[in-house]
Amino acid sequence: MMGTKMRIKPTVLLGYLVPTVLLAFLPMAGFPRAWTLYVFLFAIYLAMANMWNLLAGYSGLVSLCQPAFLGIAGYAMVIGTWLGIPWGIGLLGGAVIAGVFALLLSNAVFRLTGVYFSIGTLVVPEALRMVFYLWRPVGGALQGGGSGYMVKGAAALLPPSYIYWMALLVGVGSMIIMRIVLRSNLGLGLAAIRDNERSAAACGVDVFRLKVYTFVISATITGLAGGIYFLNMGYIEPSATFNVKWTMAILLATVIGGIRTEEGPFFGSLVTVFLYFLLARYSGYSLLIQGVILIVIMLLSPQGIVGMLRKMRWYRNLTAYSEG
Amino acid sequence: MGHGDLVTPILMGVMLGGLYALTALGLSMVFGVMRVINLAHGDLVVLASYGSYAVLTILGIDPVVGLIITIPIMFAIGVLIQKYLMSKAVTIGAEAPLIIAFGLSLVIQNTNQIMWTPLSRGINTSYSQASFYLFHRQLPMTYLMDLIVGIVVMLALREFLKRTYMGRAIDATAQDPRASRLMGVNTKRIYYYAFGIAMVSAAIAGTFLGMTFPFTPTSGTTFLTIAFGTVIIGGLGSMMGTFLGGIILGLVQTLSAYFLGANAQMLVLYIVIIAILAFRPQGLFGR
Repeated sequence: MMGTKMRIKPTVLLGYLVPTVLLAFLPMAGFPRAWTLYVFLFAIYLAMANMWNLLAGYSGLVSLCQPAFLGIAGYAMVIGTWLGIPWGIGLLGGAVIAGVFALLLSNAVFRLTGVYFSIGTLVVPEALRMVFYLWRPVGGALQGGGSGYMVKGAAALLPPSYIYWMALLVGVGSMIIMRIVLRSNLGLGLAAIRDNERSAAACGVDVFRLKVYTFVISATITGLAGGIYFLNMGYIEPSATFNVKWTMAILLATVIGGIRTEEGPFFGSLVTVFLYFLLARYSGYSLLIQGVILIVIMLLSPQGIVGMLRKMRWYRNLTAYSEG
Repeated sequence: MGHGDLVTPILMGVMLGGLYALTALGLSMVFGVMRVINLAHGDLVVLASYGSYAVLTILGIDPVVGLIITIPIMFAIGVLIQKYLMSKAVTIGAEAPLIIAFGLSLVIQNTNQIMWTPLSRGINTSYSQASFYLFHRQLPMTYLMDLIVGIVVMLALREFLKRTYMGRAIDATAQDPRASRLMGVNTKRIYYYAFGIAMVSAAIAGTFLGMTFPFTPTSGTTFLTIAFGTVIIGGLGSMMGTFLGGIILGLVQTLSAYFLGANAQMLVLYIVIIAILAFRPQGLFGR
């Protein structure tokens, strides 16, 4: 067992680096715009799915308030551009605000165990949507109540490739964070809680504190990914932001890939982005189809793609090798 | 309503409470017996609202009479959900029932949207506009019906659980499934019935909600939140608590609409629910 110290084999490190560097050249190599959009969305989903997997898969917190985090961070960033705050600071500040929000929220929702937690969190984006319908922190922008804000100033003129690289960074970053967290004392504590919460607590694991940590980490990274997403969108408005569609995409990416597996969100996000573009044509039926897929996968292969891959010897050898 | 007149919103809030308690009944039942929070409960209630809407607009039958049609359909849907989804979900893992119910909720929501468009609908009957007088205030008749139906269904369910074999078997299974099995109760079938009965209450709740408020395919989240809030405030397992929880939420809604305007009423409701979660998670009447 490893403590907080960890070694990564050079070949494994290359496994992270090479694809990232290759993908980083995508906007410059003259590939179609759709390709970069695909990878951009993949990276955003990857970060968000990883962070949801950390909660639902590893901490037993089936959170349904992820749109709240990405929305709060997005609003903070966009409103920041209206107040003359540089977009970079707005982006990081938004992520921090999302983290602080999660910390405050944990006071309320962590008193709920298991199933109650989920509905408690479900209420949060609903409430926030109404808040941003009624409240306009700064003037101007689009007309009418509840209409959103455009990204203003220098941030609006940002080259798309910059935003693309940021997304790539947060996507790969989320993979690395998961790797580190799961092998740290935090990860060990989470594994103990997952196996048996009471005996973990009896062994001196501070259950409440560990859950708060994961909740805050998850909110911060989800917020960061959200901020980057809205930077790319160029505007933000309440109904599409605090929307259950986000929850659905995040759940789907994790469940298709394999919940409670480290590499699950990676495979799942690939499929979800593909689905996103495939189903774009049938917008009315999109969520219906996604819902059916979610149910079917959960019933037939609860470990998703990774569950199927793990039945194969070469895949097990590969993961065993990367574990060192 | 006139300014400075608090009596009207208070009376309306109390009457709404009956409806909210009724909405919460199915959620509370499924949780009490199967230990599963049915995230799709709100959408199933809306499904019933659309069912009654269809009964009225397509068949031309009064929705209250039409419950003869909607109740068996909803009962069957409940049994099917338990049989093919939830009974399997609970064997997979702790998060599986939640994720599956979440998927189900979006499937129902979008089916409603495809069939009925996202437009806001209301169940308008001949007595929708009728009113009655209490303390010299004119009040809508539908609200009085909400209260009466809420009380009647709750009392009926209580008597059913107490007096019939099936009811006592459900109660026993809720308390200890293993011991019930040893006593010869077919718990699997009890679960089917429990979910079915929860959906019967959802059918009645959906019908009266549809008569009281306009609804859209996405109203399910609101209904789920109301049901959940009612259960949270009242504390689980106590029917009196559920009823009081419903009345408190009804009062919160009508009074915030009165003081802050109709736009803010749902927001205040959500904030109250979150605040109760934060400060009194065991419910106002729990120990």
